[in-house]
Amino acid sequence: MNNRFIVKPELCTGCRSCELACSFTHAVDGVRSLTRITPIDGGFKDLWVPVTCLQCDDAACIKSCLVNALKRNPVTGAVELNHEVCVNCMACVAACPFGCAVLDTQTNLIVKCDLCGGDPACAHFCPTKALEWKPIPKAVKKTG
Amino acid sequence: MKEYIGVDGYQALAKVLHKMTPDEVIDEIINSGLRGRGGGGFSAGKKWKICKNIKAEKHYVICNGDEGDPGAFMDRSIMEGDPHGVLEGMMIAAYAVGAKEGYIYVRDEYPLAVTHLEKAILDCERSGLLGENILGTDFSFSIKIARGAGAFVCGESSALMKSVAGEVGEPRATYIRSVVKGLYDEPTVLNNVETLVNVPTIIRKGADWYKSIGTKKSTGTKVFSLVGKVRNTGLIEVPMGITLREIIYDIGGGILDDRPFKAVQTGGPSGGCIPESMLDLPVDFDSLTEVGSMMGSGGMIVMDDTTCIVDVAKYFLEFLVEESCGKCTPCREGLYQLHKLLEKICSGKGEMSDIEKMERLSENVMIGSLCGLGKSGPNPLMSTLKYFKDEYIAHIKDKKCPAGVCPELITYKILDNCTGCMACIPACGYDAIEGKKKEVHVITQDKCTKCGACYAVCNFDSILVS
Amino acid sequence: MIHITINGKVVQAKDGEMLLTVIRREQIDVPTLCHHEAVEPSGACRLCMVEITKPEWDGWCDYVTSCLYPAADGLIVNTHAPKVNELRSSILDMYLARHPKSPEIRQLAAEYGVLKTQFEEIVDGNNCILCGICTRICDTMGFHAISMVGRGHGKEVAPPLNMAPDACVGCLSCAKNCPTNYIEYNVSNGNLSIWKKDFKMAACKECGKTTITKEFAEYLSKNRDINIDYFENVTNVTEKN
Ligand SMILES: Cc1cc2nc3c(=O)[nH]c(=O)nc-3n(C[C@H](O)[C@H](O)[C@H](O)COP(=O)(O)O)c2cc1C
Ligand code: SF4
Ligand code: SF4
Ligand code: SF4
Ligand code: FES
Repeated sequence: MNNRFIVKPELCTGCRSCELACSFTHAVDGVRSLTRITPIDGGFKDLWVPVTCLQCDDAACIKSCLVNALKRNPVTGAVELNHEVCVNCMACVAACPFGCAVLDTQTNLIVKCDLCGGDPACAHFCPTKALEWKPIPKAVKKTG
Repeated sequence: MKEYIGVDGYQALAKVLHKMTPDEVIDEIINSGLRGRGGGGFSAGKKWKICKNIKAEKHYVICNGDEGDPGAFMDRSIMEGDPHGVLEGMMIAAYAVGAKEGYIYVRDEYPLAVTHLEKAILDCERSGLLGENILGTDFSFSIKIARGAGAFVCGESSALMKSVAGEVGEPRATYIRSVVKGLYDEPTVLNNVETLVNVPTIIRKGADWYKSIGTKKSTGTKVFSLVGKVRNTGLIEVPMGITLREIIYDIGGGILDDRPFKAVQTGGPSGGCIPESMLDLPVDFDSLTEVGSMMGSGGMIVMDDTTCIVDVAKYFLEFLVEESCGKCTPCREGLYQLHKLLEKICSGKGEMSDIEKMERLSENVMIGSLCGLGKSGPNPLMSTLKYFKDEYIAHIKDKKCPAGVCPELITYKILDNCTGCMACIPACGYDAIEGKKKEVHVITQDKCTKCGACYAVCNFDSILVS
Repeated sequence: MIHITINGKVVQAKDGEMLLTVIRREQIDVPTLCHHEAVEPSGACRLCMVEITKPEWDGWCDYVTSCLYPAADGLIVNTHAPKVNELRSSILDMYLARHPKSPEIRQLAAEYGVLKTQFEEIVDGNNCILCGICTRICDTMGFHAISMVGRGHGKEVAPPLNMAPDACVGCLSCAKNCPTNYIEYNVSNGNLSIWKKDFKMAACKECGKTTITKEFAEYLSKNRDINIDYFENVTNVTEKN
């Protein structure tokens, strides 16, 4: 997987377009889903940061799942959740240090970012390019 | 041990190890037509062949000595009386399929069988018949005893293997047979005690000799436990193909008190009842199955006209409801409801629609259940409904139990020939009988619980049960 | 890849995958009460039975539980053959007699035309249908806190000796996946109780929010090599909306 989320907080206006995109993309039977991305108020005036799942290499959610409902998609690199297997134990919700796996109380399903199958909708919808989905800059690649 | 060798014991093993290849052994057993004595009647040789041809790290041989049928003790008598015969049979099976380990699963209620088998195993180990390089060949085999958990369903093959492996003895649903994936998921041959004990004889005397006994499709002999209303009860060994009439009248000596024969129940709790019109049926695997019963492990219960057929069906269903492991719905709930319906009929509350209800439910339980217990569970009911429907109808329509068994459907009355001896008055535990000396006594029907105590003490046949 | 025929339509399947998987992939509705993807199939409820046959079987057909029957090339499956439907309504009728008060059972039975049982109702019974989903999930997760006890009609799900089970960490997976919602539990004010056992919830150091029990968090931290701090930091960013 070559692409990564490139986030530039200084460009984020907290407009929540990414949330809308996420929610509609993952709608179930026409019902908007809980979003997997949220711009959070960085604490300073007008500094917002869109936060979503980092698809960590050593993912705590995968490790916490005792029934193997969470697996990494070898193509997209996303950690994907199989709702048929999930037993709703909330381990992953508790284990994720960023709070990126959550229980959608409307559907009673755990939701987390799946990178929309490899082409995240949120990045397309960001009007200010604060959030982009593109190849990792070389300098970053070396260290990270 | 010495006695066993004295009667050609372990000759067959020696012959097999030194002169025969495993395939030759299997062919000999297939040729002999030996069929499983544990119930299914599957060809033992064919089972071995399938098992041998599965490539696997390990193969196992298990001897099924669970014998859970009430009143059956054929396998017990073999394990106690001829433990070496069982061991030799297992060794030959092991050689044929390439197994190095074997288990004998013995019912917990048979401590003496365990002791005898343990001693026999020890003797064999000491004299090099079990262990590494048996009789100087490169065949190695060891046998362990596993104690049964005391449940009827543990005799079922998948439940038995789970039990041997230390898990709960519940049948496992799988469409892969245990000869392919059995104990510890390895190919496993499971044979009944009696099946295995036949093996050494076949090897020694040859398949052709064995085939000459019995019928074409059911060869050899079979041990039955003959019980019930016959003069001579006990274990009998008879050639296959003998008729029921010969067993009951020639060997069993006829019905007790020369009463009329009514039915014979074969095949253990999930077998069926066979009526008088079929007494000339030859006893072999296929004929019994055809008439809705089975060979089973060889129980035979003879009934006369004082046996109520509905009550018999109720008895067997009750046993099966208790012994069902409860894993799958049709067996757990279906047998329970069948038993409830039978109870309803026996208590005089039956309706004609119940018969059809039972027939439909039985069929669904048979198709739907997971293991053999549920699949054959409705047999006692189905076969009695088939041959004795009138008796069911008498219970339902006339509210009468023709055999005078079902308490709610009979009355006790004192006839006019009562001498007024007063013997029955204290015998009745419910103060239901009144009467003065030398006057005809009377039973107060409301108080009578139909226990039959008065009937038992009356010396003048004055009590009428109807 | 192999080919099997389901209700007249030829579909692709992987050799050996269970029929139910193929059937569901084709969006065909087959009722199940003991099936859960997280655990091995058990074949207890028998509702998923289907009729199967093969051309070479000469018109003979068999009835098998699709959750356990491996797909094989050339198999012809009928998920709603008359006999299968009859069997399902009969089984649901038995369920209805045993659990007349369960809304889930009533609804499923009604779908198969059984509105009232023809058998004797067990009025004082409970709603556990003995599907074994709870015990199998608990075993699969590695806790083995509850199991089936007894046999036959008296079988029940219970912790050992019917006492608060040592091995239970209060993850609630049994209760949340019970098809009839039979297992009782209670979560309130940072406390959780199930199977007569009381737990304290692990609370987020920042916001005080709770997600799982302390025992469960400690278990995961220890056995799954996850920093315990993670569990005390459950700021759910996405939950702000
Ligand atoms: C409910 C149930 C109980 C059984 N009990 C016994 C038993 O007590 N002894 C036995 O030898 N076979 C029993 N069987 C049959 C075994 O499953 C198995 O078929 C048999 O041991 C195979 O041996 P065979 O081929 O030599 O007959 C039982 C089967 C069922 C379904
Ligand atoms: S909630 Fe579901 S995905 Fe998360 S750990 Fe539990 S079973 Fe796995
Ligand atoms: S048929 Fe009866 S004994 Fe066999 S698995 Fe089902 S419940 Fe258990
Ligand atoms: S408690 Fe629920 S999940 Fe467990 S066996 Fe009973 S019905 Fe199934
Ligand atoms: S789903 Fe219950 S038996 Fe297959």
